[in-house]
Amino acid sequence: MFRIDRRLIRNFDWLTLSIVILISIIGILTIFSATRQPSAGDAGQASFYIKQIVWLVISILALILFISFDYIWLGRIALPVYVTGLILLLIVLISGRTGMGAQRWISLGPLSFQPSEFFKLMFIIMLANYYSFSRESLGVTGLLRVFFFIVFVPFALLFKQPDLGTAIVVLLIFMSVSLAKGLHKKVIIMVVVIGIISLPFLGNIMWTGLKDYQKNRLIAFIDPQVDPAGIGYHINQSKIAVGSGEFLGKGYLKGTQGPFRFLPEKHTDFIFAVFAEEWGFVGSVFLLSLYLLLILRGLDTAGKAKDDFGRLLALGITFMFSIYFFVNVGMTLGIMPVVGIPLPFMSYGGTALLSNYISIAVLINIRTRRFSLFY
Amino acid sequence: MNRRRIVILNTVIVFGFFAVFFRLTDLMVFNHAIYAERAKSQQVKAEDIQVRRGNIYDRKGRAFAVNLELESLYCDSKEVVVDKDGLQRLSGILGMDAKVIQAKFKQGKRFTWINRKLAQDTAAQIKKLKIDGIGFVPEAKRYYPKGILASHVIGMVGRENQPLEGLELKYNKYLSIAGGKVYFARDASGKQLSSGVDMEEAKGNDLLLTLDEALQYIVEKELDKAMAQWKSVAASAIMMDPFTGEILALANRPAYDLNDTGRANQNAIRNRVITDIYEPGSTFKVIIGTAALEEKLYNLDSKFDCSRGAIEVGGKVIRDAHRHGMLTFKEVIQKSSNVGSIMIGMKLGKERLYRYAKLYGFGDETGIDMPGEVSGWIRKPDSWSATSIGAIPIGQEVAVTPLQILRAYSAIANGGSLVQPHLVSEIRTPEGRTIFSFQGETKRVLTEKTAKVFKDILKTVVEVGGTATEAAVEGNQVAGKTGTAQLIDHRTGRYSKDRFISSFVGFVPADNPKIAMIVVIYEPKGQIYGGIVAGPVFRDIANQALSYMNVPMDEDYRNDLLLVSK
Repeated sequence: MFRIDRRLIRNFDWLTLSIVILISIIGILTIFSATRQPSAGDAGQASFYIKQIVWLVISILALILFISFDYIWLGRIALPVYVTGLILLLIVLISGRTGMGAQRWISLGPLSFQPSEFFKLMFIIMLANYYSFSRESLGVTGLLRVFFFIVFVPFALLFKQPDLGTAIVVLLIFMSVSLAKGLHKKVIIMVVVIGIISLPFLGNIMWTGLKDYQKNRLIAFIDPQVDPAGIGYHINQSKIAVGSGEFLGKGYLKGTQGPFRFLPEKHTDFIFAVFAEEWGFVGSVFLLSLYLLLILRGLDTAGKAKDDFGRLLALGITFMFSIYFFVNVGMTLGIMPVVGIPLPFMSYGGTALLSNYISIAVLINIRTRRFSLFY
Repeated sequence: MNRRRIVILNTVIVFGFFAVFFRLTDLMVFNHAIYAERAKSQQVKAEDIQVRRGNIYDRKGRAFAVNLELESLYCDSKEVVVDKDGLQRLSGILGMDAKVIQAKFKQGKRFTWINRKLAQDTAAQIKKLKIDGIGFVPEAKRYYPKGILASHVIGMVGRENQPLEGLELKYNKYLSIAGGKVYFARDASGKQLSSGVDMEEAKGNDLLLTLDEALQYIVEKELDKAMAQWKSVAASAIMMDPFTGEILALANRPAYDLNDTGRANQNAIRNRVITDIYEPGSTFKVIIGTAALEEKLYNLDSKFDCSRGAIEVGGKVIRDAHRHGMLTFKEVIQKSSNVGSIMIGMKLGKERLYRYAKLYGFGDETGIDMPGEVSGWIRKPDSWSATSIGAIPIGQEVAVTPLQILRAYSAIANGGSLVQPHLVSEIRTPEGRTIFSFQGETKRVLTEKTAKVFKDILKTVVEVGGTATEAAVEGNQVAGKTGTAQLIDHRTGRYSKDRFISSFVGFVPADNPKIAMIVVIYEPKGQIYGGIVAGPVFRDIANQALSYMNVPMDEDYRNDLLLVSK
């Protein structure tokens, strides 16, 4: 399993690896800037960036590990992995550590991690594995079966945590992978019709199920000026940070919105705003291009995969990154409601970084082994 | 797998990137200014510090207003570390209660003034205490090196350097330019400010005056003497270059010390030469004199029968000070006969009299660059009473300022043009670039011939037989006119019998005038006539001024004097 094949090295996806490492370094630099203390009088600089460097090293080791074996093994252990994931989610719900009004962490001695971060990949593996058994397009019963057996339980668990962000991501991954897998036209029409009819009911159920802070975020998205110092605060401060970056940016370590504590979640969910303030339009477009390149490369990998499992797996992972990117950046720029999900590879957070690197490892794995049928 | 669906999903993703790209363009390229402004407004707090006002210099570059560099003490209460002993010593140096200082330390702000505008040595003492968390910001205090000299011209500023009087007020927008702020970054909690002090200093523009310190000193010294000699209520004088309108000296008594303005009362602060109106009396005869010549109503030898010593106008009898007999036109002015003047005025008529008065600028501001100037007044002919045609030619029923009279006589001096009186000749930036330079316009009001002829009459005023022989200057011929006006007694509403304003206005040397000057003595005691009270003041100032200005003595004139004496 660990024998190095020369063709593996020749076919290795250096581009994807370079992009994510570059983004990660940009991320660490931005975390450093965002968490710096504006004056000597305050407590010393928090060590977020050091922790993130440690997590990056761990993540790269994990990446190597997850490239070293053929990804088809993942399909074979998909079900046990998926069930483990569900159990972890259940544990979180029962005995998880509460943070920011939501239970998301499990503590293992000194370490704590968010099972929901890993669950997304487990879910994609399960979904891709299941869909790869059949080459047929999905009918109504097929789709419902998948929804109830694979999607509904984790969605409910995540919704209950509440980790609305991940819950929505899981739902969107399910929808996009199913669409890519192939659905009968009838099914698509039916889903759309049912969706439109049930929207008021579902909306009402969802709305009452939402916590107050989640409702406020939606109101603030629709009208940020409704209460700029209160529920619209995140969006307004984020837009100020981005907009005041102007064309060329204020310069690295010259940003003020983050260090002066105007921007909340500056080193996690709103890190793009900190970056945009310092590097301006030029830097933001550069970063945007890196993500675009990463996603297009992922889609290309899906197109080149040697089997359906690999293709669906690559698509699922690429969709996941796309969803994360759009929801996060959209939120930062005020074109999406505030949903607390991080920007992949940039935001501070060890579990997310590790899980993202493992996902990237799987993508690289699929691309690197695209010709392995021939030997 | 459905390839078409994958293409659709790819398209959706690329479309998403375009959406993000356009939003970035919107926020960062097209509308960045809004957000940059909002960022600045919430992150930066500005404390005003006083700008360095521009300096004020006289025509030879001698400083009349400068800034003293002082230090203002502030504390950053987050960083203040001070023990009891240190606090006591700080309290001792500042002369402030230790409890008050302690309270400022405990305000929880990153910036609090403790005491502003401390002298450099006080600041040095405090610096030696080496207390953490306190610091200094340099600030300026206005200082006037000449003290009382030219106080009405320079004016003053208040405690916060706000302009109050004089040129400080008139030229404030040049002296004090916008700016002068200390900037502090502040974080989201609002009150915490970074201790980094980012300063934006600004210095105003300098004024260069037409004033001459030496001439100003001479004028003020002589006014003081006159005040003492005549025990007068007030005294004023203006010295001007009759050709350019440059004010060479301008003074009033009482005056005040610019560095000790707390004790100055409104009476001392008033710049009488432009803010106070008075009835000019005989100096106003310049109007009928020049108008009659200009209209060719008389020649110099035209005869006036003043032997009655009185004339009745509209049922009121107006008298001469002394009974004269037959007078020529020239002698009417020389001896300042009211009777003769009224005859000229009546010949001239209401309309022409009014027109010439307005032509000289009476009833209008001169436009001198000082605050508070009044226009005075002269009624329109249709609202004149029956006696007005007798009163106005001799300078009653009109209100003028000393500056207006001086300007009228300057027109005689310079050959017939009304000049623009002014004090500031140039404004320069701190870097020395000239941003304003006075460009005066003159307005011709008399023919050169009339000016010349009337000048010759004015020369006789200070000669034997004139009303102001006391105003004669050694070695140079003076041309001028006396004025003695009665004040209205407010209790009776009639002219007072014992309260007068005595004045003399003239220029010297008569044929090539270097200075034109008016001296006004308010309510002199003992003597009342302008020739006796104000004339000598004119003479004493002119003697010193001409020698300071190196104006040579006129030998011909000296010889004439000797001949006359013989």
